[in-house]
Amino acid sequence: MRGIFKKFQDTVFGAPPASKDDAKQRLKVLLIHDQVALTPAQLDAMREEIMDVISRYVEVDDNGVEFRLSREDGAISLVSNVPVRRVTARASA
Amino acid sequence: MSQCIVVTSGKGGVGKTTTSANLGAGLALAGNRVAVVDADIGLRNLDVILGLENRIVYDLVQVVEGECRLKQALIRDKRVEGLFLLPAAQTRDKNAVSPDDMRRLVGELKEEFDYVIIDCPAGIEQGFKNSIAGADRALIVTTPEVSAIRDADRIIGMVEAHDLPEPELIINRYRAGMVERGDMMNKEDILEILAIPLIGMVPDHEDVIISANRGQPAVFDENSVVGQAYRRITDRVVGHEVPFPSFETPTGMWATMKRWMGLAPMREVV
Repeated sequence: MRGIFKKFQDTVFGAPPASKDDAKQRLKVLLIHDQVALTPAQLDAMREEIMDVISRYVEVDDNGVEFRLSREDGAISLVSNVPVRRVTARASA
Repeated sequence: MSQCIVVTSGKGGVGKTTTSANLGAGLALAGNRVAVVDADIGLRNLDVILGLENRIVYDLVQVVEGECRLKQALIRDKRVEGLFLLPAAQTRDKNAVSPDDMRRLVGELKEEFDYVIIDCPAGIEQGFKNSIAGADRALIVTTPEVSAIRDADRIIGMVEAHDLPEPELIINRYRAGMVERGDMMNKEDILEILAIPLIGMVPDHEDVIISANRGQPAVFDENSVVGQAYRRITDRVVGHEVPFPSFETPTGMWATMKRWMGLAPMREVV
């Protein structure tokens, strides 16, 4: 009965966010930083250097740049999405 | 062939000692010769969980230092054939023993026993290094909490760095009701994060406290849901395929009616 009432409540008022989702999200970030021995400053430096190299070849939309670490099955990967405004490859650069 | 299994977790208080005691007793109940070793030197507890604290004469450090023979320090559990405890020293510290000492000790135990279960202390220092030194296999105990899972992840990395096979996971203190409400990470959430095989799930149940009060591992009690969970773990450890029971409360009219009439428990247990 309580279950039915709660379902009704959730449908009408919207279900509250489950706290396990917070736990999972926090854990994912935590484990990446436990595994990657880089300080936030070092990560920023890496990001800038990579962006410098990319900018030598293409014109980048700085506002849309996404640059983050992700973890899948215990393996860390660097996920980056760099929107390109214009390809500016110079001949024999 | 004999096997040495280390029970570890990183974080303290997640159920390593309870797991070691029940796994050891479970393996003995299944007809194996088992030695459970308390590697938590200075803070021994396995003797209390097993109810053998009044029978300690010698300890692990005295064996290592040659003050007594291994056989003199082993305490035979009279409740089940083939179960022995090697207690930790209470008045020494972790540095009294080295990984090489442990390797030698485990080697000697494996000549006499089918299974050697090492109850690892919390932490990642000397006690952990000693505990995994002689191990062939590692079981990681965690609870469905952020801090315990974080430490489990750290320990998994350290176990793999020590050339042990992929460790197996025990999820302890699982609360089906909280999982159903979305307030506890479920089995899939935890396995997605830790990415190692699951070997057992143990419900959060008052039986654990009661059995600790009595010094009587739950696995001896056939009616205890915790004991049943540990029996399934024991079966999986020796290599049997044992399905994981469903943890959710069954829905549907018939299941609900049965619960209301008292023919089924209000909550399904793990």
